[in-house]
Amino acid sequence: MTSIVDPISLPQRAASNDTEIDREALASLLVEIARNVDPDYRARFDGVPTADPRMETLRQLLVGREISELSRVAHLLDEPEQLAAAVGGVLPDAAARASHAQLGEALAPAVERAVQRSIQKNPRTLTDILYPVFLPAIRKSIGEKIDQTFQSLNESLRHIFTWRGLKWRFEAWRTGASFSEVVLKHSLVYRVEHVFLINRNSGLLITHVTAENATSEDPQLISSMLSAIQDFVKDSFNEKEQSGLDTIRFGELRLWSEVGPFATLVAVIRGNPPEELHEIIRDVLLRIHDESSQALEQFDGDSSQLAGVETQLQTCVELKQEESNQGFPWLVVAAVLLVLIPAGGWFLLSWQSGQRWQAYVSRLGTQPGIIVAEQKMRDGQFYIAGLRDPLAADPQSLLSGTEVDPARVHSRWQFYQSLEPEFVLKRLTASLTPPDSVRLSIVNDRIVAEGEATDTWINRARAAAQQLSAGGPVFDISKVRDVSPEAREAERWQAYVSRLETQPGIIVAEQKVRDGQFYIAGLRDPLAADPQSLLSGTQVDPARVHSQWQFYQSLEPEFVLKRLTASLTPPKSVRLSIVNDRIVAEGEAPDTWIDRARAAAQQLSAGGPAFDISKVRDVSPEARAAERWQAYVSRLGSQPGIIVAEQKMRDGQFYIAGLRDPLAADPQALLSGTGVDLARVHSQWQFYQSLDPKFVVKRLTASLTPPKSVRLSIVEDRIVAEGEAPDTWIDRARAAARQLSAGGPEFDISKVRDVSPEARAAEHWQHYVSRLEAQPGIIVAQQTARGGHFYISGLRDPLAADPQALLSGTKVDPARVHSQWQFYQSLDPKFVVKRLTASLTPPKSVQLSIVQDRIVVVGEAPAAWINRARAAAQQLSADGVVLDVSQLRELSLAELNNLREAIQATDILFYSGKVVPGPEQTPVLDRLADQLKEFAQNARKSGVTARFMLTGHSDATGRETSNASISAARAETVRALLNKRGVAPELLLVRGAGTFEPAVPENSRTGSSANRRVSVTVNLD
Amino acid sequence: MLQKKICMLGGFAVGKTSLVRRFVQSIFSETYLTTVGVKIDKKSVALPDKTVDLILWDLAGEDDIGSFRVSYVRGATGLVLVVDGTRAATLAVALTLRERAEAEFGAMPFVLLFNKSDLADRWAISDSEINELRQLGWQIYLTSALSGEHVDDAFRQLASMVTK
Repeated sequence: MTSIVDPISLPQRAASNDTEIDREALASLLVEIARNVDPDYRARFDGVPTADPRMETLRQLLVGREISELSRVAHLLDEPEQLAAAVGGVLPDAAARASHAQLGEALAPAVERAVQRSIQKNPRTLTDILYPVFLPAIRKSIGEKIDQTFQSLNESLRHIFTWRGLKWRFEAWRTGASFSEVVLKHSLVYRVEHVFLINRNSGLLITHVTAENATSEDPQLISSMLSAIQDFVKDSFNEKEQSGLDTIRFGELRLWSEVGPFATLVAVIRGNPPEELHEIIRDVLLRIHDESSQALEQFDGDSSQLAGVETQLQTCVELKQEESNQGFPWLVVAAVLLVLIPAGGWFLLSWQSGQRWQAYVSRLGTQPGIIVAEQKMRDGQFYIAGLRDPLAADPQSLLSGTEVDPARVHSRWQFYQSLEPEFVLKRLTASLTPPDSVRLSIVNDRIVAEGEATDTWINRARAAAQQLSAGGPVFDISKVRDVSPEAREAERWQAYVSRLETQPGIIVAEQKVRDGQFYIAGLRDPLAADPQSLLSGTQVDPARVHSQWQFYQSLEPEFVLKRLTASLTPPKSVRLSIVNDRIVAEGEAPDTWIDRARAAAQQLSAGGPAFDISKVRDVSPEARAAERWQAYVSRLGSQPGIIVAEQKMRDGQFYIAGLRDPLAADPQALLSGTGVDLARVHSQWQFYQSLDPKFVVKRLTASLTPPKSVRLSIVEDRIVAEGEAPDTWIDRARAAARQLSAGGPEFDISKVRDVSPEARAAEHWQHYVSRLEAQPGIIVAQQTARGGHFYISGLRDPLAADPQALLSGTKVDPARVHSQWQFYQSLDPKFVVKRLTASLTPPKSVQLSIVQDRIVVVGEAPAAWINRARAAAQQLSADGVVLDVSQLRELSLAELNNLREAIQATDILFYSGKVVPGPEQTPVLDRLADQLKEFAQNARKSGVTARFMLTGHSDATGRETSNASISAARAETVRALLNKRGVAPELLLVRGAGTFEPAVPENSRTGSSANRRVSVTVNLD
Repeated sequence: MLQKKICMLGGFAVGKTSLVRRFVQSIFSETYLTTVGVKIDKKSVALPDKTVDLILWDLAGEDDIGSFRVSYVRGATGLVLVVDGTRAATLAVALTLRERAEAEFGAMPFVLLFNKSDLADRWAISDSEINELRQLGWQIYLTSALSGEHVDDAFRQLASMVTK
């Protein structure tokens, strides 16, 4: 401060660009500052000068830079273009820095207005912008809505006609809810069993809630796997949508997932959830996000931060609908409606005729004696049924004048008895036929009988009254007087009189009843019955009968003839005539008639004309025979399977011809007992096949031999075979049926089931089994056929036939036979014999035979063998088999030995150099042959075979070689000679011994005749 | 309840599945691996102050890195890298898989397991190589699915790493 200036005025001067600064205030401020510096200065200035350039200078000095900056800023703010550019530069950053809530609040109205404006201007722009966002959402929403609609439509349809449906309508009306809500509430059965809240990012489980009684595996693993599967699907199909898997369905289980920004909610639902449930789940998920959005976003696996969401989820698992629902057959209802509508139309059309009909029906109803039980109209036809009394008016005639077309009326009336008094009266009159003395009338609905009647009538009336008492009007007969005693007597009298009147030879001239007495007068023939005796049994008191009879028999021949004709009733073959006052009978009659005629003739002889019956030939024997014959013929005629074509009698002989079925009764046999002389019957029967079903059945039974499983029966003249049979039988039956079809009854075999393949196999099998069972030494314990295979088990003796071998020829497939045989030793004597034969090897002289189950050993055997047989018998007795060895004889060869010695002593001798024995040897040869034969035979009997060795010898003369051959030749010769004499050659052995076995020692030069021989040795083997 | 999503990564047939089979709780069969490509098991690890449930996503082993479903790794907080100690190439596979996972979802703790340590005679990874990796501060375990050697240690280590 170098110069004195008015400090106040200085700031009051306006700077060139200063328009808004409050200079006065500034000046005052500066003065204030000055005063604070110098108190004197304060006293000198009492006003502020209006302008001071120094102030400006000061200002320039102090705040020059700020002023220019401010003016730039002011300029910036004043120029909208520059301001916009400046704000635009910082706006994004500013918005980012602004508090979100405030910014949103501040922007919301502007944004709303902007969007509004944009839509007003051109909605297309915004639509295009939002299209990618909205389209999936809309698509999803529409899809769900359509599902909902369908479902609720289904449900509504299902429930619209049921009683429950009505109940629900009432409930809807009562609670003010929409019907579909009520339907939904009741009809869908489902239960939310689990709810998983899963972190969307990591797939980790946030919370899991389970319904009561629902179980699952580790929820942590499940939730991870679920999100893995979500990822898998998304990756696999390149699905970019954020929603993820909506629904997984597995049988009854559904997994519904709702995807939120941070968490996915998966509900596991069992059953049939309504589409609305999606919304409910979505709501829950939204609420969870609202409440715990931050915790969800920051979820790092620690679910303790999100404990609160569990209660939210709990509301989900409580969702269920468990009422059972039942399908209602609304189609049926619709069908019924379809039927009812035309029916209603028809009813309208036929209403008028119906009215007329009703008038007629009600008219009938008022008719006494007619009860309409039932009446209806259908298809324009009228049906009426009921009861009518036969005495009532005719319903048909009542139709006239009703305008109902009689042709369309179908009535069915059953007669009944009306209990209306007038009808009862009519009926009583008809049924009781009251005598003239009785009058029936109706008094106060009661029927009253008055007058006189007999007790029989009264009894009948009483019975009628009793019957009526069941429900009809009262029938009062108390006023009918019983006049029976007199009446009855009179009745009886009349009966007697009419009886008399019918008597031949009695003529009643007069009869009356007076004061309980009966008077009768007339004529009677002496031949007629006695009127008095006729009284007996009539209950008419004879003491009160006063009769007066005059005999009146006319003995004029013509009258007698008449009487005879009347009384004898001669057969047509007899003619009665009057010849010279004699009555002559001529012709033929059976002996019975002749007898009667003879009796009449005898009676007549008392005083009448003569009755000559001598000219009546007795024809009774033939007649009787003819009668019998006719009886026989008619009997034949009635026989089924016999057709009598022709029959006649001639000269006491009977001829009959016709057809007979071989199966019909034998006509000859039928003769017996008929009294027809068989010798006089000449029949000529031709066989034929009756087509009477009975015979056809017989024939079929005989020819087809149906198995037991088939039953033949006659059903309405058709022959029906029922049951089961193999095809071979069916084929035969079919052939038979074809043959029958020519003219016979139908043979129906359609009801026979073909069981052939199994049956045949089973048959073969059974055949085989029975074959086995018949085999000795085979015991079939068990056998079954099952599933085409045959199983058999049992015991078999090793000696028995081989079951396998027995299969051959049985047609049983061996591959299908499964046998299980256990060996055993049969104690069947046959087997024991076999075994014994094998083990004991009995000699031929021993025979084993079976006598009544005992094994008997007969014959001769060596002692050693007998001992073995005894031992065997002992062993066998333990098994209960009797081996009888008592008849065994010890074989003794003593007799044979003599013979043997004799044979061996015999030599056939030869001349020197000869090989044929001389003629003198013939007797020796003969004897030897006999001895050999005897020995062989005896040996054979003893079970041994005898062989005879013929050894040729020579003397020592000559060379040894020729001796050897000569000796052999001699033996051969003897064999031939013995053979010639009947010794079997196979028993004879030959050898040449040459000179080696001389009978006597000899000189080789002379030789010895004794050594030129053939010797015999006996061998037994 | 504290849970952590852990992904097990490794080449084909390195033994991931058998490695965990004896030590985890599982309800899903191994066919999930071939059908869905992932099988989920659970391993509860008790740490001194808390228990953590490791939800193990056992991803199907693929030598073809291209078919690796990286989306399964989303939300994982740790990795188990498994290498077959008898096939050196599987180390590269495991490291590549880790790179892919981290490229997509950022770095996360992991343990590296050299499996099949029981097959010493066929061992193909040199100790120096392993030591180099350890120098990087990696948690490395030589494991054997057969004996169970170090498997639990590895899971415990990882559990404490992911809950820090």
